[in-house]
Amino acid sequence: MLENYFPILVFLAMAIGMAVVMQVLSFLLGPRKPDAKKVTQYECGFSPLSAVRIPFDVRFYLIAILFVVFDIEAAFLFPWAVAFKQLGMIGFVEMILFLLVLLVGYAYVWKKGALEWD
Amino acid sequence: MVADLVFYLFAAVTVAAALGVITSRNQVHSVLFLILAFFTTAGLFVLLKAEFLAALLVIVYMGAVAVLFLFVVMMLDVDFESLRAGVKEHLPMGLFVGAVILAEFAFILSGVHVDEAVQTNAANIPNTQLIGQVLYTKYLFPFEIASLVLLVALIGAVVLTLRKRKDAKRQHIPSQIARTRDEAVELVKVAPGQGA
Repeated sequence: MLENYFPILVFLAMAIGMAVVMQVLSFLLGPRKPDAKKVTQYECGFSPLSAVRIPFDVRFYLIAILFVVFDIEAAFLFPWAVAFKQLGMIGFVEMILFLLVLLVGYAYVWKKGALEWD
Repeated sequence: MVADLVFYLFAAVTVAAALGVITSRNQVHSVLFLILAFFTTAGLFVLLKAEFLAALLVIVYMGAVAVLFLFVVMMLDVDFESLRAGVKEHLPMGLFVGAVILAEFAFILSGVHVDEAVQTNAANIPNTQLIGQVLYTKYLFPFEIASLVLLVALIGAVVLTLRKRKDAKRQHIPSQIARTRDEAVELVKVAPGQGA
């Protein structure tokens, strides 16, 4: 079974190797003449006005957490689908229950307007 | 042989990345190290022939949880200097919390047991199917509880973070479509020289 993953290993090694080689080559060969202007943060040509790290809007967080919840819901569906024949009717009913509970959450989120940006 | 080599590689990178998470000064770097640790752990799962868990780690943890962490790190306006200054005062509390987590890990590991059905069939049934057969029969109750936990997370997130802007202009599609020419356009006859 592990042999099937050998191409992925080769791919991974190539990707990492390529990235490292390019970084190292540009580090070794590239000319570096830093001065104060060059190493400051670039902000559209004028001197930086403030720190670059500004806090995110909390709404991004809401979108992300909704994504996590439904991602996990989908993850639970995979082993269920694969073992569907062995589980039979009981498995079907319990998954419906599981989905119903999350459907309540989905309806709540939709009703509250959390799926819309404003 | 190759598998052993890959195992040691992944294990070493996992440990190094985990150390990076707790030692790097910049929290964003910490999260990136965490993603690396997740990824190499997924590699270890593949070596253990637990492909489903590996896929889960990549999809859920790297794709969703790490992004969430990144958002939190970006959202909290943490002042690095003041954080560094309080290390001595916070050390006892940090050690205490760390000890509690370590004790919990030890407790879980001491009571770990492999399900017999899984153990006997592990060789000839694909692991995803095996997980399904155990999760939805023997561990049915925790599975259904998980849905409630997810529901609580959903509602909690909405309650905590949802702010409706009152001043924002929104679309109201039904009324926009229901507009007719008569109410939207007014034709005015203007006499020459009277337009102003």
